[in-house]
Order: sequence, then structure tokens, then C-alpha cells
Amino acid sequence: MRPVWSRQLRALLLKDLRLELRTRDTIVAMVLFSVVAMMIFQFAVGSSGDDLTDVAGGILWATLALTAVLGVGRSWVPEREQRVLDGILVAPIPRLVLLVSKVGAIYAYLLVVEIIAVPLAALFFIRHGQAGDLLLVAGVCLLANLGIAVLGSLLACLALFARARELLLPVLFLPSLLPVVIAAAGATHAVAGGTNDLAEYRGYLLFLGVYAVIFGLVAYATYDHVFDD
Amino acid sequence: MSSTTDTRPARRLTVTGLVTAALLLTAVYGVFFGAPEDADQGIIQKIFYFHVAIAMVALLAFLVAAIEGIRYLRERDPRHDEIGSICVGIGLAFSILVVITGSIWAKASWGTWWVWTDPRLVTFVIVLLLYAAYFVLRSSADGERQARYSAIYSVAAFASVPLSFYSVRVARSFVHPVVFNQQGANMPDSMLWWFVVGQIAMIGVFLTILQLELIQRRADRALRRVKARLEAAA
Repeated sequence: MRPVWSRQLRALLLKDLRLELRTRDTIVAMVLFSVVAMMIFQFAVGSSGDDLTDVAGGILWATLALTAVLGVGRSWVPEREQRVLDGILVAPIPRLVLLVSKVGAIYAYLLVVEIIAVPLAALFFIRHGQAGDLLLVAGVCLLANLGIAVLGSLLACLALFARARELLLPVLFLPSLLPVVIAAAGATHAVAGGTNDLAEYRGYLLFLGVYAVIFGLVAYATYDHVFDD
Repeated sequence: MSSTTDTRPARRLTVTGLVTAALLLTAVYGVFFGAPEDADQGIIQKIFYFHVAIAMVALLAFLVAAIEGIRYLRERDPRHDEIGSICVGIGLAFSILVVITGSIWAKASWGTWWVWTDPRLVTFVIVLLLYAAYFVLRSSADGERQARYSAIYSVAAFASVPLSFYSVRVARSFVHPVVFNQQGANMPDSMLWWFVVGQIAMIGVFLTILQLELIQRRADRALRRVKARLEAAA
């Protein structure tokens, strides 16, 4: 018999993923957006030659950060529509489980986008890349997603009931996300930018882990007050 | 009697204001006439005394805002929200001053108004964006929810300040002079003394503005109450 919270978490998470699988609204939009954003960055950055290896990590993570705004913004929409949130809050489910389920859903969205966007970025921007580097970049994704999802799910519920919600979220979310973009782009550059600096890579990965832990603590300390009305 | 006739805050403000003004004048005098001129940078190095003091006070204001945020979440006393929001406002204004004075100093000593290689200056721009969002959040909610969300955000934003600083710092090699390190202050005592006076004066400015703002908000509330009573009577 598994503990109650794990069953609750599973039910909430499956609800989100099942809804998404049926409609595919968010994922399709996020994937398309990420491809368009990479195209825009490619033209905006420009280059004398055809080789964008040096800026590939930056382009990838700027794209993923902006894509994350879309996913995070959509993540609480099922709760808001048809007053699902009221039902969940009335049910004997700890608030923490609700928040963790959202972190899981956002994490899953990001992972799907990255499965498409990362190889595409490698194809578009990296010359003379090695397949093994993709695995190292996957490590960056797994860790960076955690920080993005934790911060995103907390800030998205602040924006949930606000006026001009769609405008508020990017303004709240992106400045705090900047350290993730810097560290993830740095880590990606360290392994895919032609230098293969593993010490630097590990340093950035450690930073991404610390970031996720710190915002995890902030979320843990404050989540109870978010749904207090 | 109601709090509207309580004159103690006003008297306290007068004292803080006067002490701060005296400290500021002393600091300005000391910085320009007391402290020795920097052998390398000359007169422009004087901006250091204000630039660093302002930066410290900006961070102090954000720290106080985060603490008030936590206290609001625990006690639900609107006063904590009020102090927190004023502190974020002061911190924001001081951050703008940090960026401006830093930019002037950069122009004088590195020859350009802006350098991306300086992690502290870049961090303060990130901090500006972080805390500008605080007021966007505040203006998009009302009442108790506004206070609660502001409190949560002020805690989260303060957590990102060191993270931003560290990430910018590792991402760029830095040219910023490091004045304080583990060996202590990297300057002669005559400079350090005036720096400390300037720092205390800046904290005085912070306290003065905070008290002024609190009194003004209380007066505003009292005025609204009187107005409502008059309208009810009419």
C-alpha cells in the first residue's frame, strides 16, 4: 500500500498529463514556438560564416526560457477553468502535493520540448559535434528543468488570479530565471562549444542544482500562503 | 484618542532627519577634504564612497522587505506589508542610483559607460528588473491578496539576488575593483573611516525616507477616514 500523498500526487499529475494528451494544446504550441524562436535568434545574431557553434548554447537556452513561459502560463489553466481549483482545495489534499504535481507537469512539458529542440539546435548550430555531447546536454536539461519548474509553478499561481495575468507572468518569471539561463547556456557551451571543459560543466551543473534547491525551499516555505483565501 | 493625534512618529522623524543630515554633511566634507585622493584614479574615486554605500543600503532595504514579507505571512499584520512595500520602493530607487553612479565611475575609469564584464553592475540591473516586477504584481492584485502575494514575491526575489550575482560573476571575467576581501578592507584607514561615516549616513537616509513614507501613509488613511465621516454626515 503506497502512502496517501503518493496516490494523490499520481492522480493530480495524471490528470494534467491526460488532459494535455487529449488536447495537445500546450505541447504543440511550445514545440512550434521553440523552433520559430531559434530561427529568429539565428537571423538576429547573424554571422559572417555559417558556424554558430559559439552561440549555440545561448540560443538554445534563451529559446527554452521563453518557451518555458508559455508552458508555465498554461500550467494552471485547467485549474482555473470550471473552478477545478476550488474542488481540489476542498478535497483533503495537502497544498504541497498540488504544487509538486504542477512542478511535475511543467517538467514533463519542458522535457518533451527539449527532446525535439535540443537535437534540432545541434543540427542547426553545431558543426563537428559529437553524439556523446548530446548526453551531457541532456544532463543540463534534466537539472535546469527542475529549477524552471519549481520557480515557474510558484510564480504562476501568484499570477493566476491577477489582472493581466498573461502580461504579469513573464515579467515576474524571467528576471528570476536569468541565473538558470546563464548557467545552462554556460554548461551547454562548455561541452558543445568546441572546448569540452568538463570542470566548468560540472561547476555550472552544481549551480543549477543549488538554484533548484533554494527555490524549492522558498516554494516549500511559502506555498501554504498562496491558496489562503 | 485615535492615532491621528500621536505626534511621536513625527518627532522621531525630525530627530532621524537631523542626525542624517548632519552625518551626510560630515561625510561629504570628509570624503572631499578629509580622505586622501586616490593615487591611481584621482578625484573620480570619491564616487566610491557613495556608490558602495548606496549599493549596501539597496540590498539592506531588500533584506528588510524579505524579512517583513516573512513576518507578514506569519502574523498577517498589514503594517508588515506596508513597511515591506516601502522598503522595496526605496531599494528600487537606490538601485537606480547604484547603476547611475556605477556607470559614471565606469566611464571615468574604464572609458565606457557600460561594461558587461562587471558582475556587480550587471547584477544591479537584474535586481532592478526583479523588483520592478514586484510593483507590477502589486498593482495587479487588491487588498489582502495583494499583501500576501507581495510578501511571497519579496522572499522569492531576495533569494534570486545572490543567485543572480553569482551566475553573472562566473559567466564573466571581472574588472571591478574588489575593495573588501577576506583579508579585510583593501584601503588605507583614512579612507575607511570616511567610508564608514558615509555608509552610516546612507542608512540614515534609508531610515528617514522609511519613517517619512510611513507617516505620510498614515496621514493619508486618516484623511480618508475624515472624508468618509464627512460624506456620511452630509
